[in-house]
Amino acid sequence: MKNLEKLLSELQVQKLQTQTRRHFLMDCVSKVGGLALAPLLFGCEIGKNGQAKDGLNLSERDLNPLAPLPPPFAGKAKSIIYLHMAGAPSQLELFDFKPELAKLHDQDCPESLLEGRKFAFIRGVPKMLGPQAKFNQHGQSGAWVSDYLPHFSKVVDEVAFLKAMHTDQFNHGPAQLFMQTGSPRLGRPSLGSWVTYGLGTINQNLPGFVVLTSGGKTPDAGKSVWGSGFLPSVYQGVQCRSKGDPVLYLEDPSGMSRDLKKKVISAINQANQEDFESIGDPEILARINQFEMAYRMQIEVPEVMNINDEPDYIHQLYGTQPGEESFANNCLLARKLVEKGVRVVQLYDWGWDTHGTDKDGSIDMGLRNKCRKIDRPMSALLLDLKQRGLLEDTLVVWGGEFGRTPMQENREGKVQGFKGRDHHVDAFTMWVAGGGVKKGASYGITDDFGFSGIDERTSVHDLHATLLHLMGFDHEKFTYDFQGRPFRLTDVEGELIRKIIA
Amino acid sequence: MIDFVFPLFGRFHPILVHLPIGILLFGVVLVFLSKKRETAHLQSIRLAFLLGGLAGLLSSISGFLQYQYEGFAWDSVQFHFILGLTTTAASFWLYYELRKNAAFPDHFRLKSSALVVLLMFTGHLGGNITHGETYLIEPLPTGIQELLGYSNEEAKGLVLPVQGWEELAYFEQVVQPILNQNCKSCHNPRNKKGDLDLSSYETLLTGGEDGSILTGGNSEASALFSRLILPKDDEDHMPPKEKRQLQKEEIELIKAWIDLGGKTDSKLGDADIHAELLEPFFEKVEIPFYPNVSVAPLSEEQLKELKANGFFAELVEKESSWLMVSCVNFPQFSESDWAKLKIASQQIAFLDLSGTQVTDQILDSIQTLPNLTVLKLNQTAISGEKLGELQSISNLKNLYLNQTQVTLEQLRPLQNHPSLSKVFVFDSPASSEESNASFSFVLEKGNYQLPPLPTDTIVY
Repeated sequence: MKNLEKLLSELQVQKLQTQTRRHFLMDCVSKVGGLALAPLLFGCEIGKNGQAKDGLNLSERDLNPLAPLPPPFAGKAKSIIYLHMAGAPSQLELFDFKPELAKLHDQDCPESLLEGRKFAFIRGVPKMLGPQAKFNQHGQSGAWVSDYLPHFSKVVDEVAFLKAMHTDQFNHGPAQLFMQTGSPRLGRPSLGSWVTYGLGTINQNLPGFVVLTSGGKTPDAGKSVWGSGFLPSVYQGVQCRSKGDPVLYLEDPSGMSRDLKKKVISAINQANQEDFESIGDPEILARINQFEMAYRMQIEVPEVMNINDEPDYIHQLYGTQPGEESFANNCLLARKLVEKGVRVVQLYDWGWDTHGTDKDGSIDMGLRNKCRKIDRPMSALLLDLKQRGLLEDTLVVWGGEFGRTPMQENREGKVQGFKGRDHHVDAFTMWVAGGGVKKGASYGITDDFGFSGIDERTSVHDLHATLLHLMGFDHEKFTYDFQGRPFRLTDVEGELIRKIIA
Repeated sequence: MIDFVFPLFGRFHPILVHLPIGILLFGVVLVFLSKKRETAHLQSIRLAFLLGGLAGLLSSISGFLQYQYEGFAWDSVQFHFILGLTTTAASFWLYYELRKNAAFPDHFRLKSSALVVLLMFTGHLGGNITHGETYLIEPLPTGIQELLGYSNEEAKGLVLPVQGWEELAYFEQVVQPILNQNCKSCHNPRNKKGDLDLSSYETLLTGGEDGSILTGGNSEASALFSRLILPKDDEDHMPPKEKRQLQKEEIELIKAWIDLGGKTDSKLGDADIHAELLEPFFEKVEIPFYPNVSVAPLSEEQLKELKANGFFAELVEKESSWLMVSCVNFPQFSESDWAKLKIASQQIAFLDLSGTQVTDQILDSIQTLPNLTVLKLNQTAISGEKLGELQSISNLKNLYLNQTQVTLEQLRPLQNHPSLSKVFVFDSPASSEESNASFSFVLEKGNYQLPPLPTDTIVY
């Protein structure tokens, strides 16, 4: 108690010392203006029901922004694992089998495909590039999968393919933003943020939305792809480090026992509490909650983020090597997190941008190597979720931000040293599996060259609408008021893809 | 040469109509501001009714031209037009009365009030034509809308029965519902875009401004079909690209109907179509996952109490009584804590006791949850000897016993459980037992492997 008093008086003194006449005048200027502005910008400060927060009528959500909320309807899925292949893998070497394209290999691209189109790097008339993989049908569903993904071909009956996805952004950053936030420009909340905002989190000792990256780099669009946009920032993804300590400073500093730390936190919280009682700003309560959650996370996070204690056969299944930064480790972590009640786990794997400018970026070599690093882990993830019964209510999504051209890339009009494909917005493949998804389904058909979808085309908004539906939301009604109007993840578009819903 | 003048003038109707409204209202306001014998405003009032009448005349003419050139049906505009002319005539009449007398004629306030009512009603009808009948209803709360007799249901589209679809009247019960959902909003008796009305077979036969749209037996030659399959960017593509597009199955059905002759007496079964094509339209009977009985929901205080006791507790959906309860943050939960759950014994539909301290005794308590649908007992000391007690929970669907000591033999008493559909026993003695035993539910043993492949180690 004595400590607390000391702390409080110190706070008081510091406050007084830092408040000068200049501060007062500055405050006058900014706050009078602010007063006038407040009603104009009401979108930012008004509670969910349009009533101003008055500090007295606080909901559970005001105190703990991650408190659970019921979904509008009972969605089949309670959590999502999203595997984003940053850089965009080639659908033509993995899932979209185009024998006709092979016949055109090395011929000039037909004029009709180029007319009125813009590509990121292709200039002039490029050559067509036939599929560089061998395809076979697999499973009961007869899904086409290439020999680039031999393990995945054994679990195809668990997933539903979207084979005529399309987007409208041909550069990585905007396309990734579009895929994750529903808008190619900055400022919108990511899918994971929307879900966490709408449902809160199950495990109060863990973040609701965790992000793990592999492949050596974070996505081109930066951290905004898991940002919370205009939603309160507690709903943004919490990026855990993929190597070493998952979250920094979780370990107790040397010489400081956990008890001492607990004392410090409770003293800070008490000080904050008094501050709240005098000012009434609910942000202070949220801060108190954050401190408490940080303390609880300290106990739970190291345990859940530690894959060393998993049995050998699980490590063999995923192909994990503890201590490394790898997609395999992240897949195993994703399962552990979801098992422990984390709402959204987002995995980004960088290195899929196969232009053919070097060996690593080649369709026939680099892409194969890259596939090897995800083939076993993602297949293992599906099987592991299935055997634990977690696939019943966990949604797994896989895909890049766009597809790749059926043409060989020819940047600056030159032939590349390696086989590569340019960015392509008109057709690419994604797959979803788990909670509420129809197993073994395939939706969407592309033309003979895999250039564009000719039937059952799926836009990014359609995908978002469907994912939200599976989580229990009507994407048209799930809105957040900002700057005077309600915003949706799907903007004014998006139709449910009923054919992949079980 | 001056063909454009009339249609152009017609298009000024929406602006012109506001003139009589404003001018006449102003005149009537002056009438009410004047005392009975006071004549100060008389000049202005006369002028107002004269100008109002003239503006009304211009409005009526432009309105008539708009009706002529913009494809409005007479049915939809007739009352608006007649009332518009009446309003115009009434203003001239009032002007005439005022000119005749140096003071206010008898009952002038009453007469001008009647003019206002007429004016308002005419304006309202006009608004309905422009914005639609439900323009003023839409913003109202749903409750009030229903009270007024408006339901929000849109045209539902095609729904077919799984059994006996062959006998459906092809046009009346298949094609017309498709047209209703996709075409009718622009092609109906009130709003005949392209002079085409698709609300009945007769009007469909009549065709539109380009003539017939149906050539029985030849779908390619029938605009009813051929315009559906034009590229979306084509100007003639229907429905317009910003509108909802027909599903390919719907287009197939229309094509098959035309090829069959395009008559009203054919049956759906007459056409050469497979049930697969109809799959998207079959009525789906949704069996709810959680019990289909009604139970009073927990009060907010009771829910708070559960949460305060350390449980994760939340409704499975808004407006539902069913509760999902988890001990994810309450690992020390044991039998002695059961009393804390008792208030929700009717409502708990999803119970996750994974990783807690419970033993077999907990099943005695669990069987008192009549509506339990999902039960998770992963990573507990459950040995399985009391699993038979779950037989009495007639809603139980998914049972999780991963990482417990359960054996196959102990699952035997659950055989023929009325609702149980999946049981998970991964990483338990039951998962490694070799047995040919078959169960009435899906038994997920797990132990999946992905055997190493030679390609696993090749690096290109």
